[in-house]
Amino acid sequence: MIGGNATWVIVSSILLALIVYVVPMPLEWRWFRPELPTLVLLYWVLALPHRVGIVSASLVGLILDFMDGMTPGAFSVGMALSALTLLFSYQRLRLFDGFQQSIVIGLVVALALMIERWVQNLMGVGGRGLVFLYPALTSALVWVPLRNGLRGFRRHYEVS
Amino acid sequence: MALVLVSALLVLLFFRDDPRLNAARAFALDTTGAIYSTAAAPMNAWTSLADYLKSRTQLRQENARLRQENLVIKGQAQRLAAVLAENTRYRALLNSAEIVEREVMVAEVIAVTADPARHLLVLDKGRDDGVLEGQPLLGADGLMGQIVMLGEYTSRAMLITDSTHAVPVQVLRNGVRGLAEGTGDLARLLVRHVAATTDISVGDTLVTSGLGGRFPPGYPVARVTSVDIEPGAAFASVSAQPLAQLDRGRHVMLAMEAESAVTVAP
Repeated sequence: MIGGNATWVIVSSILLALIVYVVPMPLEWRWFRPELPTLVLLYWVLALPHRVGIVSASLVGLILDFMDGMTPGAFSVGMALSALTLLFSYQRLRLFDGFQQSIVIGLVVALALMIERWVQNLMGVGGRGLVFLYPALTSALVWVPLRNGLRGFRRHYEVS
Repeated sequence: MALVLVSALLVLLFFRDDPRLNAARAFALDTTGAIYSTAAAPMNAWTSLADYLKSRTQLRQENARLRQENLVIKGQAQRLAAVLAENTRYRALLNSAEIVEREVMVAEVIAVTADPARHLLVLDKGRDDGVLEGQPLLGADGLMGQIVMLGEYTSRAMLITDSTHAVPVQVLRNGVRGLAEGTGDLARLLVRHVAATTDISVGDTLVTSGLGGRFPPGYPVARVTSVDIEPGAAFASVSAQPLAQLDRGRHVMLAMEAESAVTVAP
């Protein structure tokens, strides 16, 4: 993330995603909230894999962990592994159309969620079946508009 | 791989109750607390604007209603004072310890934390304001939870419905004791290991029993909503609904610790 031009665009997009992510809402609605920070991060991995990678991913994950405060490492590991998955496959993913990309992104987010849940369960947090995967569905739904928006920013500020 | 190890290490470090790490932990909590308050800022601004723009008639109506409520509550408090005095006399007669009346501090709920599987609140009071770890959190209608992590200026509270939380309770009607566990569902607590023959029925109020020394005794917690006794099973499965409005309201009360802390046997 460091050592390129317009780093502030990347950082502030992630920060903005974090802020929007925790906008107050009824407790039960949180199950349907797209994983915005993960999505924005994955976008940057996809667009600039030479700048945003595993280290940035685990840093953002760590912030998410501290926001929760109870199980640091859970998001961090999940985000790092999902960034890794994308680093392996970004060349193919870039050729996909929006629909195909959404499916893959949904699966990658699901991977991050599963790892996060797994660590949480180790810490004794009870589960409620597969509801924890709902955010992967909504994330897949918002992926295309989010990607287009971020692409607009990237081109406007010529981040490369 | 290295990152996985580093994260695992962080988990371990964070969970160690090392006082040297307190500052780092507090810093992490306060910084992320700022993200929450930023996210909540537009909504708060809107609410205060709406407050500001309230008409005179509305304000007068509200004022009248609040005055009435205040009168009723004051009346009840008078009776309470008499009852408390009486109770203290009786307890003195029985040679038991005096019940300490607790002061409360009001804190504002900044946000609910991000993870939907957890029921954690971010509060705007921290160690700087005299908040302590483990301090009970009270709502207008009953017990809400307790402080679990302390920052310097913010803190995190766990609600009683979080799936890692349990609170020692007793039935108000007859003093039967139990343990009310959170289920991760806002409207449901589970009282486990209640013998099938125990006298507990739907509608019973559960109050804190004070066992364990963390929660003060006598605060209402939940109302029993179902008691299922399977023939042949050793235990009844008892569900209860929390009395406090866990997902409403912007203010909570923190019961201040009385000077004589309960000592727990090692």
